Amino acid sequence: MDLLSNLAMGFSVASSIANLGFCLIGVILGTLIGVLPGIGATATIAMLLPITFQLEPVSSLIMLAGIYYGAQYGGSTTAILINMPGESSSAVTAIDGYQMARKGRAGTALATAAIGSFFAGSVATFLVALFAPPLTAVALQFGAAEYFSLMVLGLVMSVALAHGSVLKALAMVVLGLLLGIVGTDIYTGTPRFTMGITQFADGLNFVAVAIGVFGFAEILRNLEDEHEREVMTRNINRLFPSRQEFREMAGPILRGTGIGSVLGILPGGGAILASFASYTMEKKLSKTPEEFGKGALAGVAGPESANNAGAQTSFIPLLTLGIPANPVMALMIGAMIIQGIVPGPSVVTDQPQLFWGIIASMWIGNLMLVVLNLPLIGLWVKLLTVPYYVLFPIIMAMSAIGVYSVNGNPYDLFAVAFFGLLGYIMSKLRFEPAPLLLGFVLGPLLEENLRRAMILSRGDPTTFVTRPISAGLLVVSLIVLVLVFLPQIRKQRDEVFTESEG
Amino acid sequence: MILTLTRRALMGTALAFGLAGAAAAQDFPDRAITLVIPFAAGGSTDVVGRIVADRMSQELGQQIVVQNVGGAGGSLGAQQVAKADADGYTILMGTVATHALNPLILKQKPYDPVADFAPVSLLVLVPNVLAVNPALPVNTVQELIDLAKKEPLAYASSGNGTPLHLSGELFKTMAGVDITHIPYKGSGPALTDVLGNQVPVIFDNLPSASSHISSGKLKALGVTTAERAPSFPDVPAIAETLPGYETYSWNALFAPAGTPPEVVETLASAAKTAMADPAVVARMAEFSAEIVASGPEELAEHVKAEMTKWEPVVVEANVSLD
Amino acid sequence: MSTRQKDDTDLIAGIGLMAAAAFFGWQTIGLEIGTSLRMGPGYFPMILSGLLFILGLLVTIKSFGREGEPGTPIAWRGILFILPAPIFFGLTVRGLGFVPALFFTTLIASQASVKMRPMYALVLAVAVTVMSTLIFSYGLGLPFRRFGPWLPF
Repeated sequence: MDLLSNLAMGFSVASSIANLGFCLIGVILGTLIGVLPGIGATATIAMLLPITFQLEPVSSLIMLAGIYYGAQYGGSTTAILINMPGESSSAVTAIDGYQMARKGRAGTALATAAIGSFFAGSVATFLVALFAPPLTAVALQFGAAEYFSLMVLGLVMSVALAHGSVLKALAMVVLGLLLGIVGTDIYTGTPRFTMGITQFADGLNFVAVAIGVFGFAEILRNLEDEHEREVMTRNINRLFPSRQEFREMAGPILRGTGIGSVLGILPGGGAILASFASYTMEKKLSKTPEEFGKGALAGVAGPESANNAGAQTSFIPLLTLGIPANPVMALMIGAMIIQGIVPGPSVVTDQPQLFWGIIASMWIGNLMLVVLNLPLIGLWVKLLTVPYYVLFPIIMAMSAIGVYSVNGNPYDLFAVAFFGLLGYIMSKLRFEPAPLLLGFVLGPLLEENLRRAMILSRGDPTTFVTRPISAGLLVVSLIVLVLVFLPQIRKQRDEVFTESEG
Repeated sequence: MILTLTRRALMGTALAFGLAGAAAAQDFPDRAITLVIPFAAGGSTDVVGRIVADRMSQELGQQIVVQNVGGAGGSLGAQQVAKADADGYTILMGTVATHALNPLILKQKPYDPVADFAPVSLLVLVPNVLAVNPALPVNTVQELIDLAKKEPLAYASSGNGTPLHLSGELFKTMAGVDITHIPYKGSGPALTDVLGNQVPVIFDNLPSASSHISSGKLKALGVTTAERAPSFPDVPAIAETLPGYETYSWNALFAPAGTPPEVVETLASAAKTAMADPAVVARMAEFSAEIVASGPEELAEHVKAEMTKWEPVVVEANVSLD
Repeated sequence: MSTRQKDDTDLIAGIGLMAAAAFFGWQTIGLEIGTSLRMGPGYFPMILSGLLFILGLLVTIKSFGREGEPGTPIAWRGILFILPAPIFFGLTVRGLGFVPALFFTTLIASQASVKMRPMYALVLAVAVTVMSTLIFSYGLGLPFRRFGPWLPF
């Protein structure tokens, strides 16, 4: 009953008035900032780090964690409402969420995201509490070969993201992979595709690419024939999901939670795949796969749950090993060190109050988020009734600030304009942005791990099949590939090949 | 004629600026100072920078705002400060990478580490450590060298051209062994793979590896400083096996070249006071960082010495970046 | 649409992909390819460029013998004003400072809509600038200079 007493201790720490307050401040700030296009959790936490110096270590980490999942949550809101994903995970939510919004179902989409996130967050938090140490051991089994195979699986799945031509989706993935290569080669230090611009030495900024190909391209599309059509339908239906919709989202939420929890544990890019993987799975399992890309409820419920579950379980490597799974976690480590806590395996034993307090606060924070956001949905949806010609200059201003705030690099703003144009051209040629973005995120990981695996195996490519986990992942990739390319499915796909805009 | 005019105009401008600078120097600082940290938030340079900035703000009576300008191994941030107004309101948290290694490694020099900066204060020296996964059957530096001569080994580092990579290369040269270098994007992923025994050996900053060494998940074979580190007295120095081996990372404050000496002095003395604060001393000790808190002249000497020391290593390891 | 059956969109798409592949392939020249054991920086980009070219070729070929869909109008006005807005912000935020740069950025972007009247655009730009300055500069303490060195005060 160690767990129960530990959890009880955690809750007693987290539910002190002060800590509840910091948790609330964290989730509110996170949500607000996540909602602003372009400004993500990383920038926010970096900005707010100095404030936390004066706080107790537990309180400061509770607040920072609150900002993190609050921002994740807020990011989905922007993705759904204006097709502006601020992080790779919400890029998937944007696909169907935005289409739902355009059809007047923004309320349903937002509520689904809230409910899915809450459920997934709660379950994943429990997993963190229960299995953190053994799960870490599994994560450490992942070497370069395993990551490579995992990324291959991710890429294969990405084809299912497309609701148009498989061929063009593949082309987008490859183009994304190439764009992901821009920057300095980590093995030799050679700059690649940087056009001699030092500012791109560390690669293109994800936020710039995502906001360009999704957000700006969408604004341009909406400005095509302003007089003839409304961007958003005026008749917004009910805000809260019906009983029927609740039934529809149950399965995707459960499966999304499972996928997200597992992938979130892997440091080094596992969590990136969570929402993509969930989307693929839902599309494959759905009785109406043709709905995906046009506003499928499962296309929001699954990825949102997966994303949030992954966000929680990515704390596992941080808390048990002191190893960051993503840039936000790296910041949390910095915050801990500044507070005089050495992150690592000893945190659980040396600082049980801190460890369990944070875990308990995650659950409390998720509860706060859902309580806070369900009433806000009405407000967000009202936002869509603002005339579009007023809304988009505001979006543009926020995006410019957001993109600039990531690194303070003007070249990111030039990149966002370029990718806006590219995204618009792509949409004209009926290419879809989601596979491109996935390729962009996975490209560097794929190459890095491929090359590392080959060096470690001393040039023996069988390393990918002789290592059991890697081999297993490749087999799954093969199965997915066969499913995608089965002629029947392809035919069906071509039948439903229609332009997503309407 | 045009030439003289231009020259006179230039001199006039310089004079005007100089006077303005002197006037400004007296009440320096009268607004917030930006401390550029040329690496992403959360890393060891960032942590040192934020602790110092926090304490120095109290000392100077003005907020020091930390701005992370990461990219190109620290070059982007350093370049930004090199080009900034020389008024002391934009300063840099320089490191061994920005002021010794990058200038030696980069083919295109984005800035000159000596001519473009006014040294302020060398804050801390940070030891690096050579560590192995406990599954590797070696317990001393000598045993590792012997093993490396018998079978192929690989070591992880936080990236190409980083102080850790070069510490590894220096080790290989001095020990006369060949160990394959596996670069990662930062210390975190490199550590993960060594903890998971995907790669057996690592060169890492002592602060980031310390908790794993204490918990026994990593076996420290030696620290890279000439003497043992006070925080790990049981871990020998690599120099005990390979006499003369010495590397460390360091953090120092720099202002742009041309900053008025009074301003530099104000900053340096604030840094000195900050580094003497018991709370800061305690944090740095936990962090295994050795406090120096030097004056401007010592830092200038230090930069020159470091460049002299690293040049042969860089040449030997044949590391160069475009 | 031409009389012979072809999908113009896909034809352009395919050619575009091949052009992109050619561009990346050209940029790969000079990067070391290496071996499978020690892959050079050019290895992966070379394979990808080749793959992209093949995919572009396939898209091109498949575009024939199939009817395309009618295209939609192009948002020229949008392109003209939306895309320069962030570029302007990037060029001026350090020089002019956050406040004026943001004001003009919003003003430029707002011109992308035919429905936007000048007075209204001005009011909107002022409102956005004031709100953003309050939120980002004062509220969040983003390290931006509100008024930059290009301005006389």
